[in-house]
Amino acid sequence: MTASPDFAPPILKADALTRRFGRKTALDGINLTVSDTGVLALLGPNGAGKTTFVQTALGLVRPSHGELRVLGAKPGQQSVKTRIGVMMQDTDLAHTLTGRELLELFASYYPDPADLEALIDRCALGDFIKRRYGQLSGGQKRRIQFALALVGQPDLLFLDEPTTGLDTEARRALWAIVRDVAANGTLVVLTTHYLEEADALADRVIVLKDGQVIADDTADGLRTRMGGAVIDCVTGLTDDALRSIEGLISLNRSGRKVRLQVSEAVPALKSLFELDPDLSDLGVAQPTLEDAFGALTRPSESQGA
Amino acid sequence: MANAYLAEIKAEIFKLARMPEFAIPTLILPVMFFTLFGVIIPGSRDNAPYLLSTFGVFAVMGPALFGFGAGVAQERERGWLTLKRAVPAPAAALLVAKTTATIVIASVSLAAIYAVAAFAAGVELPALVWLGLLLVHVISAIPFVLLGLALGFVFGANAAVAVANIAYLGMAVLGGLWMPISVFPKIMGQIAQFLPSYHLAEIALGVSGAAGEKAVLGHIVATLVITAIAAGLALLAWARQR
Repeated sequence: MTASPDFAPPILKADALTRRFGRKTALDGINLTVSDTGVLALLGPNGAGKTTFVQTALGLVRPSHGELRVLGAKPGQQSVKTRIGVMMQDTDLAHTLTGRELLELFASYYPDPADLEALIDRCALGDFIKRRYGQLSGGQKRRIQFALALVGQPDLLFLDEPTTGLDTEARRALWAIVRDVAANGTLVVLTTHYLEEADALADRVIVLKDGQVIADDTADGLRTRMGGAVIDCVTGLTDDALRSIEGLISLNRSGRKVRLQVSEAVPALKSLFELDPDLSDLGVAQPTLEDAFGALTRPSESQGA
Repeated sequence: MANAYLAEIKAEIFKLARMPEFAIPTLILPVMFFTLFGVIIPGSRDNAPYLLSTFGVFAVMGPALFGFGAGVAQERERGWLTLKRAVPAPAAALLVAKTTATIVIASVSLAAIYAVAAFAAGVELPALVWLGLLLVHVISAIPFVLLGLALGFVFGANAAVAVANIAYLGMAVLGGLWMPISVFPKIMGQIAQFLPSYHLAEIALGVSGAAGEKAVLGHIVATLVITAIAAGLALLAWARQR
Protein backbone atom coordinates (compact mmCIF):
# COMPACT_ATOMS: atom_id res chain seq x y z
CA MET A 1 0.00 0.00 0.00
CA THR A 2 1.08 3.54 -0.55
CA ALA A 3 1.32 5.86 2.42
CA SER A 4 -0.53 9.13 2.13
CA PRO A 5 1.29 12.35 3.08
CA ASP A 6 1.62 12.97 6.82
CA PHE A 7 -0.69 15.95 6.88
CA ALA A 8 -3.60 14.17 5.23
CA PRO A 9 -6.30 12.74 7.50
CA PRO A 10 -6.88 8.98 7.35
CA ILE A 11 -9.04 7.89 4.42
CA LEU A 12 -11.24 5.91 6.78
CA LYS A 13 -11.32 6.19 10.53
CA ALA A 14 -13.81 4.37 12.72
CA ASP A 15 -14.04 5.03 16.45
CA ALA A 16 -16.19 2.59 18.39
CA LEU A 17 -18.50 2.57 15.40
CA THR A 18 -21.75 0.89 16.37
CA ARG A 19 -24.98 0.45 14.49
CA ARG A 20 -28.06 -1.32 15.77
CA PHE A 21 -31.17 -2.23 13.82
CA GLY A 22 -33.80 -2.95 16.43
CA ARG A 23 -32.31 -5.64 18.62
CA LYS A 24 -29.75 -6.71 16.08
CA THR A 25 -26.27 -5.22 16.30
CA ALA A 26 -24.86 -4.92 12.80
CA LEU A 27 -21.68 -3.07 13.78
CA ASP A 28 -20.35 -3.57 17.26
CA GLY A 29 -17.72 -1.04 18.31
CA ILE A 30 -15.45 -1.06 15.28
CA ASN A 31 -12.12 0.71 15.56
CA LEU A 32 -10.22 1.06 12.35
CA THR A 33 -7.81 3.41 10.65
CA VAL A 34 -6.98 3.23 6.98
CA SER A 35 -4.42 5.75 5.77
CA ASP A 36 -2.97 3.97 2.77
CA THR A 37 -4.36 3.58 -0.71
CA GLY A 38 -4.50 0.15 -2.30
CA VAL A 39 -7.12 -2.57 -2.03
CA LEU A 40 -8.77 -3.24 1.30
CA ALA A 41 -10.87 -6.39 1.37
CA LEU A 42 -13.72 -6.57 3.82
CA LEU A 43 -14.58 -10.19 4.45
CA GLY A 44 -17.02 -11.93 6.69
CA PRO A 45 -19.88 -14.38 6.70
CA ASN A 46 -23.34 -13.13 5.72
CA GLY A 47 -24.67 -10.73 8.33
CA ALA A 48 -21.20 -9.86 9.59
CA GLY A 49 -21.76 -6.16 9.00
CA LYS A 50 -19.86 -5.59 5.74
CA THR A 51 -22.68 -3.90 3.87
CA THR A 52 -23.73 -1.85 6.90
CA PHE A 53 -20.15 -0.61 7.19
CA VAL A 54 -20.14 0.43 3.52
CA GLN A 55 -23.54 2.09 3.84
CA THR A 56 -22.34 4.03 6.88
CA ALA A 57 -19.31 5.22 4.94
CA LEU A 58 -21.61 6.36 2.14
CA GLY A 59 -23.78 8.32 4.56
CA LEU A 60 -26.82 6.12 3.93
CA VAL A 61 -26.86 4.73 7.46
CA ARG A 62 -26.14 6.77 10.57
CA PRO A 63 -24.12 5.27 13.41
CA SER A 64 -26.01 4.48 16.62
CA HIS A 65 -22.85 5.23 18.60
CA GLY A 66 -19.29 6.12 17.80
CA GLU A 67 -18.09 7.74 14.64
CA LEU A 68 -16.87 7.07 11.15
CA ARG A 69 -14.83 9.71 9.33
CA VAL A 70 -14.41 9.40 5.59
CA LEU A 71 -11.65 11.42 3.90
CA GLY A 72 -11.47 13.41 7.10
CA ALA A 73 -15.13 14.43 7.10
CA LYS A 74 -18.56 13.25 8.06
CA PRO A 75 -19.96 10.74 5.55
CA GLY A 76 -22.72 11.90 3.23
CA GLN A 77 -21.48 15.46 2.74
CA GLN A 78 -21.41 16.65 -0.83
CA SER A 79 -17.66 17.38 -0.65
CA VAL A 80 -17.04 13.79 0.42
CA LYS A 81 -19.44 12.27 -2.08
CA THR A 82 -17.71 13.92 -5.04
CA ARG A 83 -14.52 12.00 -4.13
CA ILE A 84 -16.23 8.61 -3.75
CA GLY A 85 -17.25 6.02 -6.30
CA VAL A 86 -19.64 3.25 -5.44
CA MET A 87 -20.93 0.00 -6.86
CA MET A 88 -23.65 -1.35 -4.63
CA GLN A 89 -25.28 -4.72 -4.33
CA ASP A 90 -28.85 -5.21 -5.50
CA THR A 91 -29.08 -1.99 -7.46
CA ASP A 92 -31.04 -1.87 -10.65
CA LEU A 93 -30.53 1.17 -12.86
CA ALA A 94 -33.08 2.81 -15.13
CA HIS A 95 -34.00 0.14 -17.67
CA THR A 96 -34.94 2.59 -20.39
CA LEU A 97 -31.63 4.47 -20.48
CA THR A 98 -28.63 3.25 -22.45
CA GLY A 99 -25.26 2.62 -20.84
CA ARG A 100 -23.88 5.76 -22.42
CA GLU A 101 -26.79 7.88 -21.16
CA LEU A 102 -26.25 6.52 -17.66
CA LEU A 103 -22.55 7.34 -17.85
CA GLU A 104 -23.29 10.87 -19.09
CA LEU A 105 -25.81 11.40 -16.28
CA PHE A 106 -23.41 10.25 -13.58
CA ALA A 107 -20.50 12.16 -15.11
CA SER A 108 -22.54 15.36 -14.67
CA TYR A 109 -22.49 14.90 -10.87
CA TYR A 110 -18.71 15.14 -10.51
CA PRO A 111 -16.40 18.14 -10.74
CA ASP A 112 -13.71 16.24 -12.65
CA PRO A 113 -15.28 13.28 -14.47
CA ALA A 114 -13.31 10.71 -16.44
CA ASP A 115 -13.12 10.93 -20.21
CA LEU A 116 -16.12 8.81 -21.21
CA GLU A 117 -14.63 7.30 -24.37
CA ALA A 118 -11.52 6.26 -22.47
CA LEU A 119 -13.63 4.81 -19.66
CA ILE A 120 -15.80 2.85 -22.11
CA ASP A 121 -12.63 1.45 -23.67
CA ARG A 122 -11.03 0.68 -20.37
CA CYS A 123 -14.07 -1.24 -19.11
CA ALA A 124 -14.63 -2.84 -22.55
CA LEU A 125 -18.24 -1.66 -22.76
CA GLY A 126 -18.08 -0.81 -26.47
CA ASP A 127 -20.20 -3.74 -27.64
CA PHE A 128 -23.25 -2.86 -25.61
CA ILE A 129 -22.91 0.77 -24.51
CA LYS A 130 -25.64 1.89 -26.94
CA ARG A 131 -28.17 -0.64 -25.76
CA ARG A 132 -30.76 0.02 -23.10
CA TYR A 133 -29.76 -1.13 -19.67
CA GLY A 134 -32.87 -3.30 -19.31
CA GLN A 135 -31.84 -5.38 -22.32
CA LEU A 136 -28.39 -6.25 -21.01
CA SER A 137 -27.30 -9.51 -19.42
CA GLY A 138 -26.57 -9.65 -15.71
CA GLY A 139 -22.82 -9.52 -16.31
CA GLN A 140 -23.10 -6.55 -18.69
CA LYS A 141 -25.23 -4.69 -16.15
CA ARG A 142 -22.56 -5.22 -13.48
CA ARG A 143 -19.93 -3.87 -15.84
CA ILE A 144 -21.97 -0.72 -16.49
CA GLN A 145 -22.36 -0.29 -12.72
CA PHE A 146 -18.61 -0.69 -12.32
CA ALA A 147 -17.94 1.99 -14.93
CA LEU A 148 -20.41 4.31 -13.14
CA ALA A 149 -18.40 3.83 -9.95
CA LEU A 150 -15.27 4.99 -11.77
CA VAL A 151 -16.78 7.91 -13.68
CA GLY A 152 -15.98 10.49 -10.98
CA GLN A 153 -12.29 9.47 -10.80
CA PRO A 154 -12.72 8.69 -7.10
CA ASP A 155 -10.11 8.80 -4.36
CA LEU A 156 -12.13 6.19 -2.53
CA LEU A 157 -13.97 3.41 -4.33
CA PHE A 158 -16.48 1.07 -2.69
CA LEU A 159 -17.16 -2.18 -4.49
CA ASP A 160 -19.79 -4.30 -2.77
CA GLU A 161 -19.63 -7.81 -4.26
CA PRO A 162 -18.55 -6.44 -7.63
CA THR A 163 -18.05 -9.68 -9.55
CA THR A 164 -21.25 -11.50 -8.66
CA GLY A 165 -22.71 -12.70 -11.96
CA LEU A 166 -19.54 -12.13 -14.01
CA ASP A 167 -17.88 -14.92 -15.98
CA THR A 168 -14.23 -15.73 -15.32
CA GLU A 169 -12.93 -13.58 -18.14
CA ALA A 170 -14.95 -10.50 -17.15
CA ARG A 171 -13.99 -11.03 -13.51
CA ARG A 172 -10.28 -11.05 -14.34
CA ALA A 173 -10.67 -7.99 -16.54
CA LEU A 174 -12.36 -6.18 -13.65
CA TRP A 175 -9.59 -7.24 -11.29
CA ALA A 176 -6.98 -5.78 -13.63
CA ILE A 177 -8.78 -2.43 -13.59
CA VAL A 178 -9.14 -2.52 -9.80
CA ARG A 179 -5.41 -3.16 -9.45
CA ASP A 180 -4.68 -0.31 -11.81
CA VAL A 181 -7.01 2.11 -10.01
CA ALA A 182 -5.56 1.13 -6.62
CA ALA A 183 -2.01 1.58 -7.91
CA ASN A 184 -2.86 5.10 -8.98
CA GLY A 185 -3.70 6.51 -5.58
CA THR A 186 -7.22 5.28 -4.85
CA LEU A 187 -8.31 3.29 -1.85
CA VAL A 188 -10.54 0.49 -3.05
CA VAL A 189 -12.76 -1.04 -0.38
CA LEU A 190 -13.89 -4.41 -1.64
CA THR A 191 -16.45 -6.65 -0.03
CA THR A 192 -16.64 -10.07 -1.55
CA HIS A 193 -17.38 -13.60 -0.66
CA TYR A 194 -15.06 -14.91 -3.33
CA LEU A 195 -11.96 -15.35 -1.19
CA GLU A 196 -9.97 -15.97 -4.31
CA GLU A 197 -10.83 -12.41 -5.26
CA ALA A 198 -9.59 -10.98 -1.97
CA ASP A 199 -6.47 -13.11 -2.29
CA ALA A 200 -5.81 -11.86 -5.81
CA LEU A 201 -6.39 -8.18 -5.06
CA ALA A 202 -6.16 -7.22 -1.43
CA ASP A 203 -3.24 -5.46 0.20
CA ARG A 204 -5.06 -5.61 3.49
CA VAL A 205 -7.80 -7.92 4.66
CA ILE A 206 -10.23 -7.12 7.42
CA VAL A 207 -12.40 -9.95 8.63
CA LEU A 208 -15.69 -9.01 10.28
CA LYS A 209 -17.80 -11.32 12.33
CA ASP A 210 -20.92 -10.37 14.26
CA GLY A 211 -20.13 -6.71 13.65
CA GLN A 212 -16.62 -6.87 15.08
CA VAL A 213 -13.16 -6.87 13.50
CA ILE A 214 -11.69 -10.30 14.22
CA ALA A 215 -8.67 -10.03 11.96
CA ASP A 216 -6.83 -7.20 10.25
CA ASP A 217 -3.81 -8.27 8.25
CA THR A 218 -2.44 -8.90 4.78
CA ALA A 219 -3.70 -11.97 2.94
CA ASP A 220 -0.26 -13.53 3.38
CA GLY A 221 -0.25 -12.52 7.01
CA LEU A 222 -3.55 -14.26 7.60
CA ARG A 223 -2.27 -17.42 6.00
CA THR A 224 1.02 -17.32 7.87
CA ARG A 225 -0.64 -16.51 11.14
CA MET A 226 -2.74 -19.57 10.73
CA GLY A 227 0.35 -21.51 9.72
CA GLY A 228 0.40 -25.20 9.13
CA ALA A 229 -0.87 -27.14 6.22
CA VAL A 230 -3.96 -28.60 4.63
CA ILE A 231 -3.98 -32.37 4.14
CA ASP A 232 -6.40 -34.04 1.75
CA CYS A 233 -6.78 -37.79 1.68
CA VAL A 234 -9.17 -40.70 1.35
CA THR A 235 -9.32 -42.80 4.50
CA GLY A 236 -11.53 -45.26 6.35
CA LEU A 237 -10.83 -43.56 9.68
CA THR A 238 -13.70 -42.19 11.74
CA ASP A 239 -13.86 -38.56 12.85
CA ASP A 240 -13.06 -39.65 16.40
CA ALA A 241 -9.92 -41.38 15.24
CA LEU A 242 -8.89 -38.38 13.16
CA ARG A 243 -9.33 -36.04 16.11
CA SER A 244 -6.36 -37.69 17.80
CA ILE A 245 -4.03 -36.48 15.07
CA GLU A 246 -1.34 -34.16 16.30
CA GLY A 247 -1.96 -30.46 15.82
CA LEU A 248 -5.36 -30.83 14.21
CA ILE A 249 -7.09 -27.50 13.71
CA SER A 250 -10.13 -28.51 11.74
CA LEU A 251 -11.67 -31.41 9.98
CA ASN A 252 -13.98 -31.53 6.98
CA ARG A 253 -15.35 -34.68 5.49
CA SER A 254 -17.25 -35.61 2.40
CA GLY A 255 -17.79 -39.37 2.45
CA ARG A 256 -14.36 -41.01 2.72
CA LYS A 257 -12.61 -37.88 1.49
CA VAL A 258 -11.33 -35.75 4.34
CA ARG A 259 -9.60 -32.40 4.56
CA LEU A 260 -7.53 -31.73 7.66
CA GLN A 261 -6.10 -28.42 8.69
CA VAL A 262 -3.10 -28.97 10.90
CA SER A 263 -0.61 -26.73 12.63
CA GLU A 264 2.38 -28.63 11.24
CA ALA A 265 2.50 -31.03 8.32
CA VAL A 266 5.16 -33.59 9.27
CA PRO A 267 4.01 -34.77 12.71
CA ALA A 268 0.40 -34.80 11.54
CA LEU A 269 1.28 -36.95 8.53
CA LYS A 270 3.23 -39.35 10.76
CA SER A 271 0.31 -39.90 13.09
CA LEU A 272 -2.05 -40.16 10.15
CA PHE A 273 -0.01 -42.99 8.58
CA GLU A 274 0.22 -44.77 11.92
CA LEU A 275 -3.55 -44.71 12.23
CA ASP A 276 -4.28 -45.69 8.64
CA PRO A 277 -1.44 -47.19 6.60
CA ASP A 278 -3.84 -47.72 3.69
CA LEU A 279 -4.89 -44.12 3.12
CA SER A 280 -4.80 -42.94 -0.47
CA ASP A 281 -5.02 -39.87 -2.70
CA LEU A 282 -2.84 -37.88 -0.35
CA GLY A 283 -2.28 -34.20 -0.99
CA VAL A 284 -0.54 -31.64 1.19
CA ALA A 285 -0.87 -27.92 0.54
CA GLN A 286 -0.33 -24.51 2.07
CA PRO A 287 -3.55 -23.19 3.54
CA THR A 288 -5.38 -20.80 1.24
CA LEU A 289 -7.05 -17.62 2.34
CA GLU A 290 -10.26 -19.60 2.28
CA ASP A 291 -8.86 -22.04 4.85
CA ALA A 292 -7.70 -19.15 7.02
CA PHE A 293 -11.06 -17.47 6.70
CA GLY A 294 -12.85 -20.71 7.55
CA ALA A 295 -10.72 -21.17 10.65
CA LEU A 296 -11.37 -17.57 11.76
CA THR A 297 -15.10 -17.49 11.27
CA ARG A 298 -16.00 -21.03 12.26
CA PRO A 299 -18.28 -20.76 15.26
CA SER A 300 -17.05 -23.61 17.45
CA GLU A 301 -14.25 -25.58 19.09
CA SER A 302 -11.47 -25.35 16.54
CA GLN A 303 -11.35 -21.58 16.49
CA GLY A 304 -8.46 -21.01 18.86
CA ALA A 305 -5.77 -21.37 16.20
CA MET B 1 -23.72 21.58 -11.20
CA ALA B 2 -26.15 23.31 -13.56
CA ASN B 3 -24.91 20.62 -15.87
CA ALA B 4 -26.24 17.99 -13.45
CA TYR B 5 -29.72 19.51 -13.59
CA LEU B 6 -29.75 19.47 -17.38
CA ALA B 7 -28.47 15.90 -17.53
CA GLU B 8 -31.04 14.83 -14.97
CA ILE B 9 -33.88 16.51 -16.88
CA LYS B 10 -32.78 14.86 -20.12
CA ALA B 11 -32.60 11.46 -18.45
CA GLU B 12 -36.06 11.85 -16.90
CA ILE B 13 -37.64 12.85 -20.20
CA PHE B 14 -36.07 9.86 -21.96
CA LYS B 15 -37.22 7.58 -19.17
CA LEU B 16 -40.83 8.76 -19.40
CA ALA B 17 -40.97 8.80 -23.17
CA ARG B 18 -39.52 5.28 -23.40
CA MET B 19 -42.09 3.70 -21.13
CA PRO B 20 -44.83 2.87 -23.66
CA GLU B 21 -47.02 1.27 -21.00
CA PHE B 22 -47.08 4.65 -19.33
CA ALA B 23 -46.68 7.05 -22.22
CA ILE B 24 -49.40 5.74 -24.52
CA PRO B 25 -52.35 5.78 -22.11
CA THR B 26 -51.41 9.08 -20.47
CA LEU B 27 -50.73 10.81 -23.79
CA ILE B 28 -53.50 9.30 -25.90
CA LEU B 29 -56.39 8.98 -23.44
CA PRO B 30 -56.99 12.68 -22.74
CA VAL B 31 -57.00 13.77 -26.37
CA MET B 32 -59.05 10.71 -27.38
CA PHE B 33 -61.75 11.38 -24.80
CA PHE B 34 -61.70 15.06 -25.58
CA THR B 35 -62.23 14.35 -29.28
CA LEU B 36 -65.06 11.94 -28.45
CA PHE B 37 -66.90 14.18 -25.98
CA GLY B 38 -66.08 17.49 -27.66
CA VAL B 39 -66.14 16.77 -31.39
CA ILE B 40 -67.54 13.42 -32.46
CA ILE B 41 -70.72 13.03 -30.41
CA PRO B 42 -73.40 15.05 -32.21
CA GLY B 43 -74.06 18.42 -30.64
CA SER B 44 -71.00 18.05 -28.41
CA ARG B 45 -69.17 21.01 -29.94
CA ASP B 46 -71.08 23.30 -27.63
CA ASN B 47 -69.30 21.57 -24.77
CA ALA B 48 -65.86 21.90 -26.34
CA PRO B 49 -64.78 25.12 -24.56
CA TYR B 50 -65.85 23.64 -21.23
CA LEU B 51 -64.08 20.34 -21.88
CA LEU B 52 -60.97 22.10 -23.16
CA SER B 53 -60.64 23.75 -19.74
CA THR B 54 -61.17 20.57 -17.72
CA PHE B 55 -59.37 18.07 -19.98
CA GLY B 56 -56.24 20.20 -19.78
CA VAL B 57 -56.15 19.39 -16.07
CA PHE B 58 -56.81 15.71 -16.88
CA ALA B 59 -53.92 15.68 -19.36
CA VAL B 60 -51.46 16.94 -16.74
CA MET B 61 -52.69 14.65 -13.98
CA GLY B 62 -51.72 11.43 -15.82
CA PRO B 63 -47.97 12.02 -16.24
CA ALA B 64 -47.77 13.45 -12.72
CA LEU B 65 -49.42 10.48 -11.03
CA PHE B 66 -47.99 7.71 -13.23
CA GLY B 67 -44.59 9.01 -14.26
CA PHE B 68 -43.88 10.53 -10.91
CA GLY B 69 -45.80 8.36 -8.45
CA ALA B 70 -45.43 4.94 -9.98
CA GLY B 71 -41.95 5.86 -11.27
CA VAL B 72 -40.66 6.84 -7.83
CA ALA B 73 -42.08 3.68 -6.27
CA GLN B 74 -40.34 1.54 -8.87
CA GLU B 75 -37.01 3.35 -8.59
CA ARG B 76 -37.15 3.16 -4.83
CA GLU B 77 -37.74 -0.58 -4.93
CA ARG B 78 -34.91 -1.11 -7.40
CA GLY B 79 -32.33 0.65 -5.21
CA TRP B 80 -31.84 3.43 -7.77
CA LEU B 81 -32.84 6.12 -5.26
CA THR B 82 -30.44 4.70 -2.69
CA LEU B 83 -27.64 4.87 -5.22
CA LYS B 84 -28.64 8.46 -6.04
CA ARG B 85 -28.24 9.36 -2.37
CA ALA B 86 -24.75 7.83 -2.28
CA VAL B 87 -23.47 9.77 -5.28
CA PRO B 88 -23.12 13.57 -5.40
CA ALA B 89 -26.30 14.16 -7.41
CA PRO B 90 -27.71 17.49 -6.17
CA ALA B 91 -30.57 16.64 -3.81
CA ALA B 92 -33.08 18.88 -5.56
CA ALA B 93 -32.08 17.81 -9.07
CA LEU B 94 -34.23 14.70 -9.07
CA LEU B 95 -37.31 16.62 -7.96
CA VAL B 96 -36.75 19.46 -10.41
CA ALA B 97 -35.99 17.05 -13.24
CA LYS B 98 -38.99 14.82 -12.63
CA THR B 99 -41.30 17.82 -12.40
CA THR B 100 -39.86 19.29 -15.59
CA ALA B 101 -40.14 15.97 -17.42
CA THR B 102 -43.74 15.63 -16.24
CA ILE B 103 -44.56 19.09 -17.60
CA VAL B 104 -42.78 18.40 -20.91
CA ILE B 105 -44.70 15.15 -21.44
CA ALA B 106 -47.94 16.78 -20.29
CA SER B 107 -47.33 19.61 -22.77
CA VAL B 108 -47.38 17.13 -25.65
CA SER B 109 -50.75 15.92 -24.44
CA LEU B 110 -51.94 19.52 -23.93
CA ALA B 111 -50.78 20.55 -27.40
CA ALA B 112 -52.83 17.72 -28.94
CA ILE B 113 -55.94 18.77 -27.02
CA TYR B 114 -55.46 22.45 -27.88
CA ALA B 115 -55.03 21.56 -31.56
CA VAL B 116 -58.18 19.44 -31.64
CA ALA B 117 -60.06 22.21 -29.80
CA ALA B 118 -58.93 24.96 -32.17
CA PHE B 119 -59.06 23.12 -35.48
CA ALA B 120 -61.69 20.39 -35.08
CA ALA B 121 -64.02 21.66 -32.39
CA GLY B 122 -63.90 25.26 -33.55
CA VAL B 123 -63.11 26.75 -30.15
CA GLU B 124 -62.23 30.40 -30.58
CA LEU B 125 -60.56 32.26 -27.72
CA PRO B 126 -58.46 35.44 -27.53
CA ALA B 127 -54.72 34.71 -27.53
CA LEU B 128 -54.42 35.96 -23.96
CA VAL B 129 -57.04 33.47 -22.80
CA TRP B 130 -55.20 30.61 -24.51
CA LEU B 131 -52.05 31.70 -22.68
CA GLY B 132 -53.91 31.95 -19.39
CA LEU B 133 -55.31 28.45 -19.86
CA LEU B 134 -51.86 27.08 -20.66
CA LEU B 135 -50.49 28.66 -17.51
CA VAL B 136 -53.24 27.18 -15.33
CA HIS B 137 -52.82 23.74 -16.90
CA VAL B 138 -49.04 23.71 -16.52
CA ILE B 139 -49.19 24.90 -12.92
CA SER B 140 -51.71 22.12 -12.25
CA ALA B 141 -48.75 19.75 -12.42
CA ILE B 142 -47.43 20.94 -9.05
CA PRO B 143 -50.07 19.57 -6.66
CA PHE B 144 -50.35 16.35 -8.66
CA VAL B 145 -46.59 15.88 -8.72
CA LEU B 146 -46.47 16.27 -4.95
CA LEU B 147 -49.32 13.78 -4.51
CA GLY B 148 -47.51 11.42 -6.89
CA LEU B 149 -44.33 11.79 -4.86
CA ALA B 150 -46.10 10.93 -1.60
CA LEU B 151 -47.75 7.97 -3.29
CA GLY B 152 -44.38 6.78 -4.66
CA PHE B 153 -42.79 6.85 -1.23
CA VAL B 154 -45.67 5.17 0.58
CA PHE B 155 -46.56 2.32 -1.80
CA GLY B 156 -44.51 -0.42 -3.42
CA ALA B 157 -44.10 -0.49 -7.19
CA ASN B 158 -47.13 -2.65 -7.98
CA ALA B 159 -49.45 -1.10 -5.43
CA ALA B 160 -48.42 2.38 -6.59
CA VAL B 161 -49.67 1.72 -10.13
CA ALA B 162 -52.99 0.48 -8.79
CA VAL B 163 -53.37 3.44 -6.42
CA ALA B 164 -52.34 5.88 -9.16
CA ASN B 165 -55.02 4.40 -11.43
CA ILE B 166 -57.71 4.83 -8.81
CA ALA B 167 -56.56 8.35 -7.98
CA TYR B 168 -56.34 9.24 -11.68
CA LEU B 169 -59.85 8.10 -12.60
CA GLY B 170 -61.35 9.08 -9.25
CA MET B 171 -60.04 12.62 -9.34
CA ALA B 172 -61.06 12.93 -13.00
CA VAL B 173 -64.68 11.87 -12.52
CA LEU B 174 -65.29 13.27 -9.04
CA GLY B 175 -63.42 16.47 -9.87
CA GLY B 176 -65.82 17.14 -12.73
CA LEU B 177 -63.19 16.84 -15.46
CA TRP B 178 -65.29 14.62 -17.71
CA MET B 179 -68.67 16.15 -16.98
CA PRO B 180 -69.77 18.94 -14.66
CA ILE B 181 -70.26 17.75 -11.08
CA SER B 182 -73.67 19.45 -11.12
CA VAL B 183 -74.95 16.35 -12.95
CA PHE B 184 -73.95 14.15 -10.00
CA PRO B 185 -75.76 13.70 -6.66
CA LYS B 186 -75.01 16.39 -4.11
CA ILE B 187 -72.76 14.19 -1.96
CA MET B 188 -70.31 13.85 -4.84
CA GLY B 189 -70.14 17.57 -5.17
CA GLN B 190 -69.09 17.71 -1.54
CA ILE B 191 -66.31 15.19 -2.14
CA ALA B 192 -65.09 17.35 -5.01
CA GLN B 193 -64.31 20.15 -2.55
CA PHE B 194 -61.35 18.08 -1.32
CA LEU B 195 -59.93 17.30 -4.76
CA PRO B 196 -57.29 19.46 -6.43
CA SER B 197 -58.68 18.37 -9.80
CA TYR B 198 -61.99 20.09 -9.06
CA HIS B 199 -60.51 23.39 -7.93
CA LEU B 200 -57.99 23.50 -10.79
CA ALA B 201 -60.74 22.77 -13.31
CA GLU B 202 -62.82 25.61 -11.82
CA ILE B 203 -59.87 27.98 -12.12
CA ALA B 204 -59.38 26.91 -15.75
CA LEU B 205 -63.08 27.46 -16.41
CA GLY B 206 -62.83 30.88 -14.81
CA VAL B 207 -60.01 31.75 -17.19
CA SER B 208 -61.69 30.39 -20.33
CA GLY B 209 -65.11 31.75 -19.40
CA ALA B 210 -66.63 28.53 -20.71
CA ALA B 211 -69.03 28.24 -17.79
CA GLY B 212 -69.87 31.92 -17.50
CA GLU B 213 -68.45 34.28 -14.90
CA LYS B 214 -66.80 32.42 -12.04
CA ALA B 215 -65.23 33.63 -8.83
CA VAL B 216 -61.90 31.83 -8.80
CA LEU B 217 -60.31 33.25 -5.66
CA GLY B 218 -61.81 30.60 -3.38
CA HIS B 219 -60.58 27.89 -5.70
CA ILE B 220 -57.09 29.37 -5.77
CA VAL B 221 -56.97 29.38 -1.98
CA ALA B 222 -58.29 25.80 -1.86
CA THR B 223 -55.67 24.73 -4.40
CA LEU B 224 -52.90 26.35 -2.36
CA VAL B 225 -54.09 24.61 0.81
CA ILE B 226 -54.30 21.23 -0.92
CA THR B 227 -50.85 21.78 -2.46
CA ALA B 228 -49.39 22.60 0.94
CA ILE B 229 -50.93 19.43 2.40
CA ALA B 230 -49.59 17.38 -0.53
CA ALA B 231 -46.13 18.89 0.00
CA GLY B 232 -46.32 18.02 3.69
CA LEU B 233 -47.35 14.46 2.88
CA ALA B 234 -44.54 14.11 0.35
CA LEU B 235 -41.97 15.45 2.83
CA LEU B 236 -43.25 13.18 5.57
CA ALA B 237 -43.17 10.13 3.30
CA TRP B 238 -39.69 11.07 2.12
CA ALA B 239 -38.39 11.55 5.67
CA ARG B 240 -39.90 8.27 6.83
CA GLN B 241 -38.10 6.62 3.94
CA ARG B 242 -34.70 7.71 5.21
